Amino acid sequence: MATWDEIAEALDDYTVTCNGNERLRKMQRDWTRQLHFVCSDTGDTFSMDVRSGEIVATPPGHVGVPDIVVTADSETFCDMFWGDLNPMPKYLRGEIQVRGSQEDVMRLDAISYVIWPDA
Amino acid sequence: MSDPSAASPPALRRAVGTVTATATSAGLAFAAINFLGIVSVATYAAGASAWLAILVGLGIALVVAAVFSELNGLFPTAAGVRLYVGRAFGNRFALTATFTYMTTVVLVIAADAFLIGAAIQHVLHERSSLAYLWILALLAVATAANLRGITLAGRVQSVVTYTVLASTVLLSVIALTRPGLRMETPFALFGDGVMSGFQAIAFALFLFAAFEWVTTTAEEARQPSVITRALFVAPVLIWLAATGFALGLAHLVPKGLADSSAYPQLLLGQAALGRLGEVWMLAVTVLTAVNTFNGGFLVASRFLYAAAREGNLPRDFARLNLRAVPWLAVVTLAVASAVVAGVVFASGQWLLLVAVGAALEAAMFAIGSAALLRLRRHDARPRPFRMSAAPVLAGGGVVLFTGLALASGFSDPNDPSTFSPVPALVVATLAVLSYCYVRFVLPRMHRAAAARAVAARAAGTRTRRRPPRAATTAEPTSDEPAS
Repeated sequence: MATWDEIAEALDDYTVTCNGNERLRKMQRDWTRQLHFVCSDTGDTFSMDVRSGEIVATPPGHVGVPDIVVTADSETFCDMFWGDLNPMPKYLRGEIQVRGSQEDVMRLDAISYVIWPDA
Repeated sequence: MSDPSAASPPALRRAVGTVTATATSAGLAFAAINFLGIVSVATYAAGASAWLAILVGLGIALVVAAVFSELNGLFPTAAGVRLYVGRAFGNRFALTATFTYMTTVVLVIAADAFLIGAAIQHVLHERSSLAYLWILALLAVATAANLRGITLAGRVQSVVTYTVLASTVLLSVIALTRPGLRMETPFALFGDGVMSGFQAIAFALFLFAAFEWVTTTAEEARQPSVITRALFVAPVLIWLAATGFALGLAHLVPKGLADSSAYPQLLLGQAALGRLGEVWMLAVTVLTAVNTFNGGFLVASRFLYAAAREGNLPRDFARLNLRAVPWLAVVTLAVASAVVAGVVFASGQWLLLVAVGAALEAAMFAIGSAALLRLRRHDARPRPFRMSAAPVLAGGGVVLFTGLALASGFSDPNDPSTFSPVPALVVATLAVLSYCYVRFVLPRMHRAAAARAVAARAAGTRTRRRPPRAATTAEPTSDEPAS
């Protein structure tokens, strides 16, 4: 199990990597969403505020009304935010559960794919 | 941070409700090819008993609805089919089945492109050779819209679907009010033989094909019950429209004329309201394409993307354009559809698409029913929806759907009095190609990917980014002295 501090560290790196990727910012320029995350093993929750493709905040707890809710175990979140894990196989096996539109689910995966194409 | 188990899951800002989910389900099923499907039902059902075949088809579709409701409750995800077939029968079978199933999307897109092209050419009184240009133009527009990331909002999709269904019902009622209504042998479904009646039911079931794809929107539904309600209501709406159309067609359009036409809906419109009815039904036909092209391209291209991301298709299929659209997947679908539509255009075998689609869909229903039975034994998790009498209904469904798949697979689309193995051969070819790909090509791809990963790690170009966790000292237990 990953601690909240580990997740927060991974989130910080993810935010910097995403916001620094020009191609991703261009691709997601019309994507403004509120994301909620739930760690199924620890019960930790956190949010991600994305505005015009830029991650502007990743506060702990659930903030605002979500467009997407992602549930997975804490280790999966950590590995995913560090770019060590391709989330799609886990999603297709039901180990990552997402609530949201199909388009948003794909956009979420596309972020990982664009910044870490070899993961 | 909070304990997620302490509170109910947060509601989504934009969640799909019953009305939109029902429209999605009915819209995916009610494509232009359905009008040809109704003609096929009428061809095999003796006398004026097509309505009875469609009623039986509705009953069977409601069993399918129960099967997919339970499966969707267990796996409420866009990857549902892949997931529950995989859990029930293993990954290799699931991949083979879903790759084969996805070819239905190409068939439906190609069929709709062909049928709309033919309908436009007919109404505009153009040379028949121009129809293929219309087909290419339609596919080009659909491809461009998809590449630009344009998707229909749920509300627009609902309006389109309900307009198509209401228009079809209304035109049918108008047709039935024309004088001289007579129903010859309305109950003689098996009047031309047991096999012929059974084939009529197989084609009737095809009218509901793809309604279960609404399960791919499970992740955006307000609650799992929304998808369940859609699965049960949409077939009833399709049944209403299909029955009305079958009765109207039987009343006003000579059977021989409808059998040989790629646009029976225009013939009914013409017979009921003259030129106005013809143009009205052309507009309805074009509207069906909005749903087919939007839903079909979206479902299939995202499936290809996910398969490529998972390593089950070449990685190029996951390439995204600047609108986050998997462009190669979309273009591949469009080209495949154009080729299939071209073959249909050149051969005139549009009813073959109906037979192949009917066989594929019935086979998928059989697999779904078998998966449900198997998961009842191996997955004890509570279900939001639990099918009643599952051993009887789903068990019987496996036998019935397999029989219906064979009945449509060995039908001669152009002559109901004879049998033809061509539809079954097409389905078998698709299944064998999928199996060979999964059995022989995929393992090589996976080995190559693993070798690339090892080489990248050795070269230091792909290392683990996550910092190593600091070693923690275990707390000594009470009977274990600290050292």
